[in-house]
Amino acid sequence: MFYRLSGIKHVSYAADRQLWPVPFDRYLVIAAVILGITAPFYLSPLYLGSYMLPWIIWATAALSLNLLMGWAGQIHLGFAAVMAIGAYSAIHLARAGVPFELALLLAGLLSALIGMIFGAAALRVKGLYLAVSTLAMQYMIDWIISHVPAISGGSQATLQTPVIRILGFPVDSDAGRYWVALAVCALVTIFMLNVKRTSFGRALVAVREKDFAAAIIGVNPFYYKLVAFWVSSFLGGVSGAVLAFCYYRAVTPEQFHLDVSIQAVAMVIVGGMGSILGSFFGAALVLLAPIVLNNFVGWFVAAIGLSLSPEVLALIPLILYGGLIVGFLLFEPLGLAKIYDNIRNYFLVWPFRHARR
Amino acid sequence: MNRIALNLLGAAALAVTTGSAMAQDKVIKIGLAQDFTAVYTFVTSDYNQGQRDYFTLINERGGIKGHKIQAEVVDTANQPQRGIEAYERMKNEGAVLVDFLSTPVSRAVVPRALKDQVNMLTLFHGRSDAADGETFPYIFPMTPLYWSQATNILQYIKEQEKGNLKGKKIALVGIDSPFGREPQPIFQALAEKEGYELGIYPYPSPGNEQSATWTAVRRFQPDWTVIWGAGGGQTVSLREAIRNGIKLDRLLSVIWLSEVDTEIAGKEASKGVLRFEGAAYGKDAAVIKAIETEVVAKGKGAGPAAKVGSTYYNIGVAGAALVAEGIRLALEKNPNGPLTGAQLKAGLESIKDFDAQGLIPPVTITAKDHQGGGKGRISQWDGSKWVPKTDWYAASQDLVWELVRKNAEEFKTSGK
Repeated sequence: MFYRLSGIKHVSYAADRQLWPVPFDRYLVIAAVILGITAPFYLSPLYLGSYMLPWIIWATAALSLNLLMGWAGQIHLGFAAVMAIGAYSAIHLARAGVPFELALLLAGLLSALIGMIFGAAALRVKGLYLAVSTLAMQYMIDWIISHVPAISGGSQATLQTPVIRILGFPVDSDAGRYWVALAVCALVTIFMLNVKRTSFGRALVAVREKDFAAAIIGVNPFYYKLVAFWVSSFLGGVSGAVLAFCYYRAVTPEQFHLDVSIQAVAMVIVGGMGSILGSFFGAALVLLAPIVLNNFVGWFVAAIGLSLSPEVLALIPLILYGGLIVGFLLFEPLGLAKIYDNIRNYFLVWPFRHARR
Repeated sequence: MNRIALNLLGAAALAVTTGSAMAQDKVIKIGLAQDFTAVYTFVTSDYNQGQRDYFTLINERGGIKGHKIQAEVVDTANQPQRGIEAYERMKNEGAVLVDFLSTPVSRAVVPRALKDQVNMLTLFHGRSDAADGETFPYIFPMTPLYWSQATNILQYIKEQEKGNLKGKKIALVGIDSPFGREPQPIFQALAEKEGYELGIYPYPSPGNEQSATWTAVRRFQPDWTVIWGAGGGQTVSLREAIRNGIKLDRLLSVIWLSEVDTEIAGKEASKGVLRFEGAAYGKDAAVIKAIETEVVAKGKGAGPAAKVGSTYYNIGVAGAALVAEGIRLALEKNPNGPLTGAQLKAGLESIKDFDAQGLIPPVTITAKDHQGGGKGRISQWDGSKWVPKTDWYAASQDLVWELVRKNAEEFKTSGK
């Protein structure tokens, strides 16, 4: 049902390598794109600015991290630091008069460079050891940002972002900023969709599965691990800059602390390692669930006429949130994207369940 | 017993909110989106309880010129994105004033609040240069900035040394964060002027482990020691100071030192420690007594009665009292409402010599000066309570304002 396969014939290599061979998938994507682009027209400023906008920016960041964690299999506990490098360099460049588009790219390049240097640790260590060395990156970058006033912005440690200018036109509305973030998100998503079907993507997967096995079949793990760190840090830097310019508009060191790195890793794991849709789901759950739960619990408690102290009211959503994450991962260890995939697989052959692979 | 009280309180709160909404629509909304679960837990619940108890007191007395104050409380967990969401939602619901009690959240919301004309209370947190009301029209610290607290503390030391600090050694032991480094320019500038020797000893954030720092402090042999931290780090500082034989009547703290810290460090052991005080401790102030009899005794208190009169509770009451005074003045000019952010701003800026019935030093806010005088006092722990050692006073405000203007200028030229 829905995902009809009849009439799909792979008669050329191009047709076989299509991103979405099933028409229903294509319709879904088109619908999502239309909904995304027209969001400013049907969402109130509150939902656009405080839910939709941070969600797509964080989804971009989660996608960037997913390239490293999901595809190349390298853990990174300092991703917020990478985003911080991007955010701070973009702001300083934009303030120095560099056009926004260029500042975004240069910020990405700088993040990529620094991220790759720290990523070089991955050439020697794996797993938990790599986690610890990337953690060191987080602490070092944090320390540098907060101890160099020239970077963090003086004793108040806050930097206001200049107004975004796209091709010389100022973008100073909620909708405008949303579209800028959406455009970046779309570009990163398209890139990630295509990584899957390139030799680069397959090489990353080979490295993830076993790096010396990859070396035996002619994939150079040394090179691909570095490139994975480079690409992921580049995209992470760009998403950090977008986060600063389109969402926060004032940057402080606390916005890129360790807890943010952990959140990014949680987004990837909860959403689904190596899944594009999963990055979106994961970002939604990790970022928005606490807010939604908080509001829901507050509303619910008021509705049933109960009066609880604010501390208790604040703790209930935390408990629910923790339970939600554990529950989802118990239900489907491969993440939220896999839950969707299971549903899709079910309908793909419905009602002929015996035909399921 | 406690549960009965809670239930009663629930019924009362519900009756108050629904009752006031039905009887009249004249409600002034205030957003208290604070950090109940992450970093500021050491202060938030007491502070928030004080705020709500004061608003209950005002509402019980019939509100301000027929307007009831309605405070919405929500947790932000100190995360800027949650603060921004709460801010946007409260703004939509018509809040004219917000209070985050969190430096990261406040800083992230400043540009939005300035643009939306929503007043933001930044009592003892947030940007210090927000005292410059012309650059930050909607941001209200209304209490002594950290720079003012530093000058205040140094003034006390100078008086104790009979006006001469030459050759004295002062150690500044603080958390290694922007907050901990904030007083440094004041300590350095006054070191040059007064001729004391300054030793700066930062300890790494969050301050659970400070032993190495205090060994260095002991080697420095300071005449006076000033601790500059907040939350758990302060307790550790106090304990380490005691362990290292620092004379406690020569140990001063920034405002964030309370009876909770002295209790953990030992009530008797921490006897003599001094701190900066921005709002009177205890139940002596008339307004705290009024809350006891009119709110808490009637079972309408927002939390445990034991907290009434504690340090952070009273700071909460002070903040709420300043806000209520601003609202009163704003309603005097615009009696019919609905009160807008801009009107409340004007109201807050016409607060003159307001001392919340002895709870705080007389505060005067103007369109230029959102700090309100920078007055505070030094109080001492006597083993069971905080005893004021001085009257309310301010010191070296010219130096403070030099820094305020310099930073505000930077914001103006580079920001926006």
